[in-house]
Amino acid sequence: MHYSLRFEWLGMVFDISTIIAIVVTALIVLFFCIGMTRNLTSGVPGGRQNVMEWIVDFVTGITKSYIEPKKAAGFVSLALTLFLYIFIGNQLGLLFNVNTAIHNDPVEKQYVSDTVKDMLTLSTTEEAKKEKLAKLEEEINDPHGHGASIGWWKSPTATPSVTFALALVVLLYAHYLGMKKSFGGWLKHTFLNPIHILEEFIIKPLTLPLRLFGNIFAGEVLIAFLLSVGIFGSIPLFLWLGYSVFVGSVQAFIFTTLAMVYISQQVNDQH
Amino acid sequence: MLDFGAVALEWGSLLTQAIVFLLLLLAVRKFAMGPIVAVMEKRRQHIESEITTAERSRKEAEALLAEQRRVLDEARLEAKSIIDRATKQASDEAAKIVADAQAAAERLKADASAELAREVEKAKAELRDQMTGLSVLLASKIIEKELDEATQKATVDKFLAQVGDRL
Repeated sequence: MHYSLRFEWLGMVFDISTIIAIVVTALIVLFFCIGMTRNLTSGVPGGRQNVMEWIVDFVTGITKSYIEPKKAAGFVSLALTLFLYIFIGNQLGLLFNVNTAIHNDPVEKQYVSDTVKDMLTLSTTEEAKKEKLAKLEEEINDPHGHGASIGWWKSPTATPSVTFALALVVLLYAHYLGMKKSFGGWLKHTFLNPIHILEEFIIKPLTLPLRLFGNIFAGEVLIAFLLSVGIFGSIPLFLWLGYSVFVGSVQAFIFTTLAMVYISQQVNDQH
Repeated sequence: MLDFGAVALEWGSLLTQAIVFLLLLLAVRKFAMGPIVAVMEKRRQHIESEITTAERSRKEAEALLAEQRRVLDEARLEAKSIIDRATKQASDEAAKIVADAQAAAERLKADASAELAREVEKAKAELRDQMTGLSVLLASKIIEKELDEATQKATVDKFLAQVGDRL
């Protein structure tokens, strides 16, 4: 596996490659949305507007199939942003890799600095850090190896932090809507039945992000493996890349659909 | 940070993602969804109003067509009655002309036959006069000088009157 640069700030750990992926995906989605909605006409729409209207219709369809029609319009923006962000994020890691290798060079007297080593081996416990550092030292000091490889580019959704963040935004928003609608109703629905406590606080927050993360992460692991195989991996790699595009689209659809289902459970009048 | 080696849950990345997603959501809502939803709604209303207008126009056209048809039927009926009247008038006139012509012809014929009868009568009288003369001439030739002309004429006239009656 590749190393990634991490740093600690305000007691929280930030992963630089993840943040790059997050920001780039968000910018692509933003520019896509803005670019597609310039020079709009209420007459016969042109090519770009047609595409955007098709996407909006598609997402509105998802929203309306779960949320009561008169409330559905308010959630189309959320569904559209979720869908485009996850869809584009899922495909980004398939496009290319950006890796840099670092190693100690005794001849040129260039050594990997301690700061970088520290960032690459940031861990929760001292033991884990020591273990990682030992492995890293071994890789960067191996005169015949390629050094330690730092990954700069991946799908944001191949990172659990990202999928958990998206899921938490959706679930907290859903609970907020439930509380706003009727606090008593929300309490009764959430806490009266032990199955519901389990569902709301364990099952949903775990399954929603882990399904997305698992699919995309597994896809990228297999791509990395097939790349390392060499020439014999090229045909399976090609097939797997195609399949990954499909998986990425389906997962974006599933995540958006489930988000709308969870919101509908809180806002619809009858369950 | 939850660490499972290659897979780790970093609170910083998580928070970054949550904030970036919320910002993205706001931006997309403001700059993309707002305009496109407004445009789609405007088009929906436009189509709705167009359909209503078309429906109304269709009804108007139907009413106008019915009106036109009614007026056309009326005109056709009127034309028919005018033609009928004209035809009747023409045939009446023709009949009158023929009757007049016939009457004139009858009159001419009657005049002609009356004339003819008059001529015949005149010719008869003339003939009678000439026959008288000729008879006298004839008798005088036959009887020669023994009879004087006046006595002879009276005798012959008497005889010829009888002849004329039989003629």
